[in-house]
Amino acid sequence: MENSGKLKDRHILIALDESENARRALLYAADFLGGTPGFRATLLRIIPEPPEDYFDSDEERNKWIEDRRSTAKEMLENYRKILIQSGFREDKVDVLINVRSCPSVAKCILDEQKRLGCCTVVVGRRGISKKEEFIFGSTSNKILHNGKNCAVWVIE
Amino acid sequence: MVNNHNAVHAEKPGQEDLRDMIARYLPPERVPKKVKVITDTSDFFRVDYDDVVVLDGRPYLIRNYEREGRFSIDEQPKFWVKRAIDLEDGSLKIIKMVFSERFRAKVGDMIFECVRSSKKEARILDLVRGHPNFMHGFSTRDSTGNIIRIIDYIPGITMDILISRLGRNHEDYFYNYFPSVFVDYIELVEAIAFLHRHGEKHGDIRRDHIIKDKRGGRYRWIDFDFNYWHKENMFGYDLFGLGNVLVYLAGRGDVTTQYLGHNNQAALQRLTIDDMNIIFNNRVVNLKKIYPYIPDTLNFVLLHFSAGAEVFYDDTGQLLDDLNEARDNLNVAHDSVREE
Repeated sequence: MENSGKLKDRHILIALDESENARRALLYAADFLGGTPGFRATLLRIIPEPPEDYFDSDEERNKWIEDRRSTAKEMLENYRKILIQSGFREDKVDVLINVRSCPSVAKCILDEQKRLGCCTVVVGRRGISKKEEFIFGSTSNKILHNGKNCAVWVIE
Repeated sequence: MVNNHNAVHAEKPGQEDLRDMIARYLPPERVPKKVKVITDTSDFFRVDYDDVVVLDGRPYLIRNYEREGRFSIDEQPKFWVKRAIDLEDGSLKIIKMVFSERFRAKVGDMIFECVRSSKKEARILDLVRGHPNFMHGFSTRDSTGNIIRIIDYIPGITMDILISRLGRNHEDYFYNYFPSVFVDYIELVEAIAFLHRHGEKHGDIRRDHIIKDKRGGRYRWIDFDFNYWHKENMFGYDLFGLGNVLVYLAGRGDVTTQYLGHNNQAALQRLTIDDMNIIFNNRVVNLKKIYPYIPDTLNFVLLHFSAGAEVFYDDTGQLLDDLNEARDNLNVAHDSVREE
């Protein structure tokens, strides 16, 4: 008899950029979850739209965005392969590049978590100094403080 | 939004007309025999004293360039910023021409990617039109499309200079002037909160970017053409600037380890690294250790900007909440400084 109460996959959101700490977060998730059934993962790269003030023309700004998008695409494809090699099924790993106006990257990540219904957010942490956190802010700390209805894994 | 009534479409006034207009505002011997008329300001070094810049058909007689600096030393000439007389109504203006630059600014040992943007300042001038705590003006384009900002001149002095003149000593200042200054400061923070609510940063919050307008006594923010490439906290650097201004106001100037070394060794001995500014390690933030009559609620706000802080303000709303509580505890009415 077919089981009508099919289990829903647990959906993990792994927020990434080109940093080494993001790579560590991805490798941790691959090592920890790879081969375990019942999980799916979305690899997310948020690219905050830069204000027009930094560019002399729209063309220059668009090129900046496209360059970042292209780098992100390549990075996420590589990371997708790593997850698959670790045991994730191919159809259980998605990649998502989100270019948007983004005063806070943490908020953008949590918006995606909510939209996709992810139960866990995985991020890396750079280990910034107190003064850097004061002036620049910390994405991982903000996710820790503001994440709702999800677990947050901060990988150092 | 930049005014698109471009000067190339407007009629350029003739030499006679210009000389007549200039004669309304200058003595006869100062009226130039031949007026150099400029509509393209791309090379702002060529825009000299006594030249007339015509924008949207409106002539502006150029006077001196502006300077910027701190403590009256190392003042840098700003050749792209000129005082000018609007020859149609005689009002004094600041004309800011385009000087785009990208640079890495160093604050303490932290590096910021910065940009000077005429677009940003033009946008904010539109946003703050009519707001009493900002400089006012408008933007237009010269004949080659450069965004020129035409700012109403604010008669007055900068807040740092004003504060240094108030009171016989810190205690006198703190009890007799600071409560009023503090109310004005809260108004300035509310003005920055207004910018932030509209998704804009000031970008260069400094005590010498605040002018006390002689006409009515309001403090007004100036110079918002800087932008910095923010990371997680879009407004972190603005908040840092607001904290520095507050510490300066509460201390009646910067209280530095050098100053204490010469004037108050006992206080210097009481300090630890946690009492200092989170970025500038020689500036005291825990002012209660120097001036014990500073109320706890105010000192609590100051400590958010210290090296020992465990929590920081994320936004101006949080800062304002604490400032209002501190104001209630200062318990003195806003009084006469505005009328001075």
